[in-house]
Amino acid sequence: MSQVLHPIEQKILRALGEAQCLTPDELSEKTHLSIDQVRRGIEWLKFKELVQVNESEKTFVKLAKRGSEASERGLPERRLVNFLRSIAVSSCEMGQARDHLKEEFGPAIANAKKNGWVEVHDNRIMLRGYHDATPEEKIIKLIQSKGQEPLTLEEVQDRDAFESLRKRPDFLSVTSTKHSVVNITEKGAETVSNMGVGEDNALTRAIDVEAPAPVIFAAKSHPLADVIDEVREIFVSLGFSELVGNSAQSSFWNFDALFIPQGHPAREMQDTFFLKDSNAKAPASQKQIREVSLAHKNGWHYDWQLEAARKMVLRTHTTCVTIRELAEGGHEEARLFSIGRVYRNEKVSYKHLVEFNQVEGVVVGKSVTLRDLMGLQMEFYRKMGIKKAKFWPTFFPYTEPSLQSMIYNDRLGKWVELFGMGIFRPEVTRPLGIKHPVLAWGGGIERIAMLKFGLDDVRELYNNRFNWLRSVPKCL
Amino acid sequence: MPVVTIYYDRLGKLLGRKVSKEKIVSTLPFLGLDIEEEGKDHINVEYSPNRPDFSTDYGIALALQGLLGIKTGIQPLRIGKGSAVVRVDRSVAKIRPFLVAVEARGGRLDDETIRQMIAMQEDLHNGLGRRRKKVSIGMHDLDKIKLPLVYKAVDRKHRFVPLGSPQEMSVSEILEGTETGMAYGNLLLGNKKVPVIMDSLGKTISFPPIINSKLTEVTTGSKNLFVEVTASDREAAEDTLAVMAQALQNAGFKILSVRITGFRNSTPRFKSRKMILDPSLVNGVLGLDLSKAQMVNSLRKNRLDARARGKQILCTIPRYRTDIFGPVDLAEEVALGYGIPNLQPTVPPAGVAGQKNPVTVAMEGARETMVGLGYLEVMNFGLVGRQTLYDFTKRNSSDILSVADSKSQEHQILRDLLLPGLIETLSRNIHEPYPQKIFETGTVFKKASPVSEEIHLACVSAHNDVGFTEMKSVLQSFLKSGFDITCTTKISQDPMFVDGRTADIIIGGKKVGIVGEVSPEVSANFKMRVPIAAFEIKLTGLIFD
Repeated sequence: MSQVLHPIEQKILRALGEAQCLTPDELSEKTHLSIDQVRRGIEWLKFKELVQVNESEKTFVKLAKRGSEASERGLPERRLVNFLRSIAVSSCEMGQARDHLKEEFGPAIANAKKNGWVEVHDNRIMLRGYHDATPEEKIIKLIQSKGQEPLTLEEVQDRDAFESLRKRPDFLSVTSTKHSVVNITEKGAETVSNMGVGEDNALTRAIDVEAPAPVIFAAKSHPLADVIDEVREIFVSLGFSELVGNSAQSSFWNFDALFIPQGHPAREMQDTFFLKDSNAKAPASQKQIREVSLAHKNGWHYDWQLEAARKMVLRTHTTCVTIRELAEGGHEEARLFSIGRVYRNEKVSYKHLVEFNQVEGVVVGKSVTLRDLMGLQMEFYRKMGIKKAKFWPTFFPYTEPSLQSMIYNDRLGKWVELFGMGIFRPEVTRPLGIKHPVLAWGGGIERIAMLKFGLDDVRELYNNRFNWLRSVPKCL
Repeated sequence: MPVVTIYYDRLGKLLGRKVSKEKIVSTLPFLGLDIEEEGKDHINVEYSPNRPDFSTDYGIALALQGLLGIKTGIQPLRIGKGSAVVRVDRSVAKIRPFLVAVEARGGRLDDETIRQMIAMQEDLHNGLGRRRKKVSIGMHDLDKIKLPLVYKAVDRKHRFVPLGSPQEMSVSEILEGTETGMAYGNLLLGNKKVPVIMDSLGKTISFPPIINSKLTEVTTGSKNLFVEVTASDREAAEDTLAVMAQALQNAGFKILSVRITGFRNSTPRFKSRKMILDPSLVNGVLGLDLSKAQMVNSLRKNRLDARARGKQILCTIPRYRTDIFGPVDLAEEVALGYGIPNLQPTVPPAGVAGQKNPVTVAMEGARETMVGLGYLEVMNFGLVGRQTLYDFTKRNSSDILSVADSKSQEHQILRDLLLPGLIETLSRNIHEPYPQKIFETGTVFKKASPVSEEIHLACVSAHNDVGFTEMKSVLQSFLKSGFDITCTTKISQDPMFVDGRTADIIIGGKKVGIVGEVSPEVSANFKMRVPIAAFEIKLTGLIFD
């Protein structure tokens, strides 16, 4: 048996089998089920496509307190007219009418004037024109004619008059109710005909355990945050300690300390975000500034400017955090890493973001070598589950030798560029008093996340589409 | 990074030996060249700007010959003695003081060679030349020039026919009316006069760093060339000319010297550099145990000269290799010659255990607690647009912190609050089922001297029955379950929130955040139809120092 029907479902279906379409209330009456049981049963049956529900909304109009008063005594303006008619000269002082109509005098005079029934001169009200029944009065009559039964909105012809009557406080009471009508589907009718007579007692307690349950979602951390956490764990497991630094940095630490000359294209506004009107007062110590400027003068032959080094930028790499720690921490032997946002003034596209995450690790040690750097990189990849990697030479302004690593991605079926690495140039380390060689390696995290989640558009990571966030398994 | 197109048939001729396509494609990356695109008859490679000699197929062929073992060691630049003279006038001293030049004679220029030369010139302008600020190059048909030449400053009314123009123009007209004039004219700002090179008939041949004259245009008919480089730095000028001269020599031209006279100028000598290399340094850097002979061999494969001298190695570096600063650069050359694939990775043992930063540990706790409370984590950018951050949220923007010249409107201001981004996130998910509960942790930026950074937590809940009380419960629970912190709330006002349903979050007598129901007007600005309650709290100084 493919489908097990709950007794509630069976009762509802049977009732519908006879009547074809019923409201939930009618169903409750016929099946002797409570209205809640009926509603639940309808939901289940709907899901199985045995019934379908058509919803409609109905609006009902009744007379409220003043409305019913008006139905007996007339609207305020009608009462004013009647009053004037009762006086021989068909006119009276304002005061007289006010005494008669009390708090309804205001609406009475306003509406009577609007209807062209009266004119006011020198504080006297004078009767004018014809005084036929107004559309508003007709609506009150219509409602009255219905007696106890409420009027439905569809029956009201003159909607303008209805709206204006509705605006008068406490004249009309308007309520709307939703109505659903349950219809049996063809598939439902077929099921009923196969059900036989009497309840299927053996299965009274059974429910359809094979039917899908409603979908709910676990609250989760962001998939990209999970990748960042994973990378961090790997670095820690490889013996690296984490550094945390600011996103806004002086050009000195982002560029100058890393031997990137002041005229270098990377330092132009086309590539780097400079903070508007923002300069570091003293980006580094006097000694650091002096030594670094000398390295630039000797290496690049130009007139180094402190002003350019003071300009604040959004860091273009996390290396600025690392180099500062190395310059100031006096590390003889150390493994350090930093992970965080970096910024590039790029046009946003499926492969470029203006802001992304980068990780970078350094190893300081008396006798560390390029082969060690390659080995650490392989260890990292192994822990990330990447088995095939290879190395090519490349260029970074602050490392020499420098290598680029490529990893083989099975899904794409090709080699993909991932982390870069190198040994800090002596032009970087010497001026800052760093005595031992420094191996450095790192790269973008989004790249790894894209490969991991099978994304072709890096922007998806920051779109925050709940649909996507929920679809990525916590463990992948 | 710049890109060079290499045609296999041309490259084959330049290599002087038949090498298979596959061999070429697999070797190029080991020169540091990235393969961009493989065509049927050509290949596009990207090169690093530190190797300007790779800006033509001539330079790449030279290096390939080395790695493939076809030819090793230096290929000397042979400079014959020429008779041409350029006098540098004092008037250019404050504008663009240096000039160097060579003659290149007896070559043959086909369309592809001209294309390669022009591409090289452009790459050199952008790289070594720092977008022509430091160095600019002019290549001329020598036979159209009446020697000797003078390099001097003239006023902006000076007229000649620039390249690409049908008629004479004044300097001012060129600067205001031509593409290169407008692109590079700013390099001459602040000078009333501009530099030009004139021949002995008084004809202008070049207006550096902007444009050449039409008179000396190089065509496939040109047999003899005159190449001049003007610069703000003498070294850079000679570096650039060395790269040009080497390529022209490889293209079949004979290079002749041009005598330069005048204030602070002299005739370039293109001398190769000698450098002493300590083999133990190389082995130390690479983690190898190579013999001197192996190192010499490796260096020669990179088209350098090297020989053992006692315990050291004496290296000779051609002038065009401007990327070599010192011994570590030579160590890399050894590694390349030895072969990167031959380097076996080694893993050094870790001395001490690694550890996370205390900030990270605290933030992990914060995020985990929010997830436990049923909130989905989202991540937004720190660099955002004005509309979301200030306009839609009706917030005061007087302390706005912006970046210069952003390429996109959505990324030009540093956020000082996370909440606007979260409301925007909700607005992008209105088709998803409610309730929606999300949070974000991240850095916010405040104007200080110069900038201060704090980490915040913000969270929002959106559904039809949401209210202040729900949010306060979440806030209390986050602080208590996560960090055993108790807070109080004090009624306050904020343009983002509903009056009477907004409170400051107070901990230890200090305001650390805000909690409340988002005002319907703000919601409407984000086209939200479901009510939102939210809080944002500063975590810096609260859960870590």
